[in-house]
This record gives sequence, C-alpha cells and structure tokens, in this order.
Amino acid sequence: MAVAELIKSIAQTTDLVDTYVPGHRTCAGCGPALGYRLVAKAAGKNTIFVGPTGCMYVANTSYACGPWAVPWTHAQITNGGAVASGIAEAFRMMIAKGKIKDEFPNIIVMAGDGGCSDIGLQAMSAMFYRGHKVLCVMYDNESYANTGIQVSPSTPYGATTMFTPAGPAIPEAKKHHLKDPMPIFCAGGHPYLKYGATASIGYPIDLMNKVRKALAQDGPAFIHLHVPCPKGWSFPADQTIEIAKLAVETGMWNLYEVENGDWANKKFQALPKKLKPVDEYLQTQKRFSHLQPEHVATIQEFVNARAQKLGMEVPLPPAK
Amino acid sequence: MPIKKRGTGLTAVADAWQLADIDVSASYPIRPYTAVMAELAKRIANGTMKCEMVHGEGEHAQFSIAHGASMAGARATTGTSGVGVTYAFETYSPIAGSRCPIQALIGDRTLDPPGDFGSEHTDCLTLRDNGWIYGWAQDAQEALDNSLMYFRIGEDPEIMLPQIVAMDGYFVTHIAQDYEMPDQEQVDKFLPKFNPKFRLDVNNPVIMGPQIEPEMGPPLEWDRHVVMNKVKGKIVEVTEEFGKIFGRKYAPFVEEYMTEDADMVYVLQGAHAVTCRSAIKYLREAGYKIGMCRIRWFRPFPDEALAQILPKFKVAGVVDTGTSYGAPCGGGVLSTEVKAAMSEVPGKPIIQSFTSGLGGETITHEEFFAMAEMMKQTLAAGKIIQSGTWVNFNDYHEGASQINAAKTEAAPSK
Ligand SMILES: Cc1ncc(C[n+]2csc(CCOP(=O)(O)OP(=O)(O)O)c2C)c(N)n1
Ligand code: SF4
Repeated sequence: MAVAELIKSIAQTTDLVDTYVPGHRTCAGCGPALGYRLVAKAAGKNTIFVGPTGCMYVANTSYACGPWAVPWTHAQITNGGAVASGIAEAFRMMIAKGKIKDEFPNIIVMAGDGGCSDIGLQAMSAMFYRGHKVLCVMYDNESYANTGIQVSPSTPYGATTMFTPAGPAIPEAKKHHLKDPMPIFCAGGHPYLKYGATASIGYPIDLMNKVRKALAQDGPAFIHLHVPCPKGWSFPADQTIEIAKLAVETGMWNLYEVENGDWANKKFQALPKKLKPVDEYLQTQKRFSHLQPEHVATIQEFVNARAQKLGMEVPLPPAK
Repeated sequence: MPIKKRGTGLTAVADAWQLADIDVSASYPIRPYTAVMAELAKRIANGTMKCEMVHGEGEHAQFSIAHGASMAGARATTGTSGVGVTYAFETYSPIAGSRCPIQALIGDRTLDPPGDFGSEHTDCLTLRDNGWIYGWAQDAQEALDNSLMYFRIGEDPEIMLPQIVAMDGYFVTHIAQDYEMPDQEQVDKFLPKFNPKFRLDVNNPVIMGPQIEPEMGPPLEWDRHVVMNKVKGKIVEVTEEFGKIFGRKYAPFVEEYMTEDADMVYVLQGAHAVTCRSAIKYLREAGYKIGMCRIRWFRPFPDEALAQILPKFKVAGVVDTGTSYGAPCGGGVLSTEVKAAMSEVPGKPIIQSFTSGLGGETITHEEFFAMAEMMKQTLAAGKIIQSGTWVNFNDYHEGASQINAAKTEAAPSK
C-alpha cells in the first residue's frame, strides 16, 4: 500500500469516509466505539476488520445489523492474531496466483486488552513474530468490559472491578501493577514489528496519523490505544474525552511511537510541560474512590518510575 | 496419466493437497501427523508447489489461521494429532459455524496421560459434535482419495462444511504402501475451484460471525443439522462420480467383506480392517460364518446404511479403537453410535462392544479370533454374556481368562 498522506487538521477529516457507521449499541460515551470510528476513518475503504470477542464485538454486531461499511469478521477472544494471519496470507497467495484481482487490503485486528495482552497474547505475539502485514489495535479500556468489568492485566493498580472489589482485607482493590504490552511487543523481540505506538482518543489526529503510519508498514504494526470506558470506570458519559486527555496530562497514559523497531529512540507526543499529580485523574472515576493516600502515592511512584524508564524528560510530581 | 507411487498416508494426502492447489496450510509439530507438513514444506521449498505455509504457535492457532484463510476465500488445510486435537477445541465450532470448508488431516494418537505415541481414535472422536464431516481411511490410497472427495463435498455450495481426513497413526500415517496418484486433469475435472459465495471482499462487505440474540441461534444450528444430513446424498453422488473419473469404486458408506452368508460381523473403521480381513480368511477355514462391515464415514453417521445392512446378521461385534469412560454398555464411542443407530431397527442383531488396539497396539489375529469366539458364544446363548470387553488386556482384567479360552478355542490351523 502506498503511504497514505498524514492528516494535518480536524477540518481535513471531514473529507474522509466513515466506514464505522450507525448500527451499534455500545454505551453512551463509549471510548472504544469512538476509537473504532477514528481508526476506520483513517484506514479507509480497502480495509478488513477482525474483531475478537469483547465489547467491540458484542455491542457492535447484532444479526443483520452492524456498524461496518467494510468487511468485518469475528475471531475468538483467543485467536485474533491467528485469524488475521490466515487472512493476510490467503490474500497474498491468492493475489500471487492470480486467483483474485483484489488489491491487498488493510487488515486490522481490533482487540481488547484481554484479547490482546492476556488470553490472546500468544496469538498476537506469533502474528508479529511471523511478520504478517496486519495492524493490531489494542483498544484498552483497562478491563474485561464485555463480561461486566472484570480485572485484566492492564487494569491499573488500585482500580475496582468485579473481580477486584475493595474490602477491609484488600483495601486497595487491584493489587498488581499493570502489564505493559509496548515493551513486550515493541522492544525488539519481534524483529518484523517495525512500528508501534501508544495513542489516545483524546488526541484524534495523532491517533489517525499513527494508524496511517502503521498501515504503511511492510509487515505487522501495533497500536496501544487508550479508550476510557464510562461504564467500567464509572464516570459521566460526557467526560470521556476530558478523562482521556487528563490521563496523558497526569502521566497515567503516555503518548509515544517506536519507528523502525528502534525502541531506544521513542518519540513522544503531547508531552506535558510537567505532569499533573495522578490524584487529579483518579478523582474523576468511581473505580478509584476507595483509595487511601498511601495507595495514591503507590500509583504516583509507579507513574513517575515509568516516565523515567521511558525517558520522558518532564518534571514529575512528588510521590510522597 | 496417473502414476504409481510408494508412500505413506501422509505423502498421499500431501499429493492430494498439491493436486487440489491449496493456497494456505497451517502447521504445528506433533507426531504422527507431522510428516505431511514436512512434505509440503519440501515441495514449497523446491518450488514444485505454490502454497503459503504458516507455522502456527500451536494447534489452536493452526486451525484459526486456516479459518481466517478460508474466510478470505482461500483453499486452506491444516492437521494435527492427539492432544493437538484437543488443544484446538475452541476453534472447531466457529469454523463449522461460519461454514468454512477447511480440510484437516488427523493422524490419530492417544490422549495424555501418560504420553503415548500410539494410535487411538479417541482424539478425533472428541470433536464429533462440532459440525465437521469426517471418516477414517484404511490405507494410503483411500487417504488420498478421501481427501479429494472431502474437498468436493465440503466445498459444495449447498454444504460448505469443514472436513477431517482421519487415519490411524502409524498404521496409515507411517507405513509405506503403493498407491496411485491421479493426474491434474482428472482432479481438475472432479474438483472445481473453491469459489465461496461470501468472503472477506472489500467490494462486497459482509459481517461474518455476528453476535446474535439467543432465539436467533437455533435456526442457524438447525441449518447445520439439515446440511449435515444433506451430506449423505452428496456422499453417494460424489463417490459414484469419483469412481467414474478415477476408476476406484468405494462403497459410499459401509464396505462389506465376506458378508453374503455371515451370521456374525465385525463392525469397525480405519486401518485395522486390513488385519480383520485376513483374520476372517482363517476364521472362515475354521468354519466361522463371519464377515466385516467397515464404516467409511463417522459424521454424518451412516445410520440408514447400517439399518439396511446389519439386520442380515445375528451378532455384530463393534471394535472400538478408543475409549469413552463411563459410556453405556462398557463400549466406546463407535459402539455407542452403532447401538443408537440400530435402536429402533426391526430385526437388529445383538450388538456387542469390543475395545481393542488401544495405545496403538496392533489388533492381532488372535484377538480377532477371540472376538469371533465371543460372538459365537453370544450367538449360541442368544444374548451378550459379557458386555464391553477390553480385548487386548490378556493378563490383567477379570474377563482375561474368558478371552484366553476363547482365543484357544477359535485358533484355526494356520
Ligand atoms: C475462551 C473464552 N473465555 C471467556 C470468554 C468470555 N468473554 C467474552 S467477552 C470477554 C471480555 C473481553 O475483554 P477485552 O478483550 O478486554 O475486550 P472488552 O470487552 O473490554 O472490549 C470475555 C472474557 C470468551 N468469549 N471466550
Ligand atoms: S462497557 Fe465500556 S467499552 Fe463496553 S460498550 Fe460500554 S463504554 Fe464501551
């Protein structure tokens, strides 16, 4: 695929075709649904989506009704990477043999954090390792949302979920810090993965350009997309974008990209002049409302340490 | 011109897949099926075959890769054995449910524990309720022929179901035999190009595998059920056409051997039929009126064919090469199925379950003789004396002395 032009402004996006169209029944203010729309818009019509089981499957497809104007297929929550690999190689071979006249399509797996970094990790890692020309977007709502909000590896420390309620014996709710898929996938262990990025629906132009860069690769690409979930995180449906932005401003989410597999030279985007204290972010969501100051301090320490480890040169709030 | 070759069941299927011009094949190693993938890899590397080989990181991925390829419109294959069959379990229903006619080769192997390379049908029988078409080949030639017939049936626009070419590990996967490899022209005449009505096509977008409300599910399941029954008609049609084009005639459902005047028959599937036939020759000399019915399809199960054939006999001894712990009558899956198929058939024979050949043990002549003798006792008594006999456990279980006695009794002069 030719390298698509990068987008310069929101005004320019009005010319782009929507292929994620009405026909879904996600919650009001659903971050993943907005993420889907932006990814689809950036990718264009020559695109096939693979949707492992999760909210973006269940809440989007109803028999004879679904929000896609491009081909879409379900995969199990476990095997988005493998199904996409098969699709990619089928197109390559059928085109090479002259069996079909199609142009090689963009193949995008829209995998939840469970379907990408937990039960589906193996298939995704194998897909990257083998070098199929597929983009994996891990839309991260920090939980197994579709089954009613259970803990996933990307649920932050201290968040309540159905499986990690807070109680006298476990006052902080979730006890583990999160697992970060960027270094797992993009730190050099997958030699064909030349492009990896984190993105946020709070920064739509950045997201869409990352999708375009990812699709211009010769092989696999990965985007870790932060998508607040009003239902799971308990905040009003009209706050999705504010919360997405606040995550970046507090360092709870960091925007960067890794090009040519060069993990050592990450490029940061929307880097705040200085990070706001995490408490400002935690206050906005009921899932953190039980936290004691020492838990907040633990989160602040984690966020500061991660910023330093990533090499973000930005003043950090005191951890206390 | 077809050519004579010497090879195993696995090279025979590799030949079938090459002739079928498959586009994608997904591999993962496990004995005994593995050599089919090694064979494909060699051909692809030599440039004699054009196919994308994707090395999955496990069987779950293998079947998923083939699923994706099929949805894209490719002719796709894969395969596995033993615990590989069970590891891939989640994928079977989605593949059949989205009506993707991929083909898998299963070379049977026992399930763990303990780790055992031997052949049993238990692995492949676990997936019997998932909407796949399958049956066992008795030798390399039949493996090749079945593979072509299965593609033709599974990819029929009225059917669109995945298939398994099953074969006994080692007995078929590893024993070199002479077989005939058809030529491309014959195959092209028999097997049209795979051309699914729906695929992942950006010019004609479709949603595949949507989420549905519970009440919408049963009609789709009904559809699969109806189609599975339709397969039977296709089998008859395709087997006949196969015979015309390739010159090899198969009984569509059940192969009968020395059954004309028999009052007892072995009922089995797969490679042990070869030994069974030669055992029958000795038994005939010794005066046993015995024959064999070899079932060529397990799904769909040939119940009508069995209902026609089996009432001719007084005793049918089903030889199970697998286990189903706690199944009725102490039998395995095959005998349970035969009994169910015959339950309402007037004049049905007494159906006796034998379990044998577990762990990849050869079912010896002596063991077939023992089964014959036990069937004879059943015949004389007019009822089963011992139900669910594990035949090759000569020295271990309570029935052992009976089996040993039966063996001596039946042993004809060789
Ligand atoms: C093998 C298997 N185990 C469990 C489930 C139940 N399940 C359905 S959706 C889902 C949650 C998916 O979570 P995630 O991938 O994070 O996506 P989200 O729902 O958050 O969008 C789970 C666990 C399943 N479908 N398959
Ligand atoms: S639960 Fe969250 S991710 Fe799922 S539809 Fe609702 S807002 Fe979207």
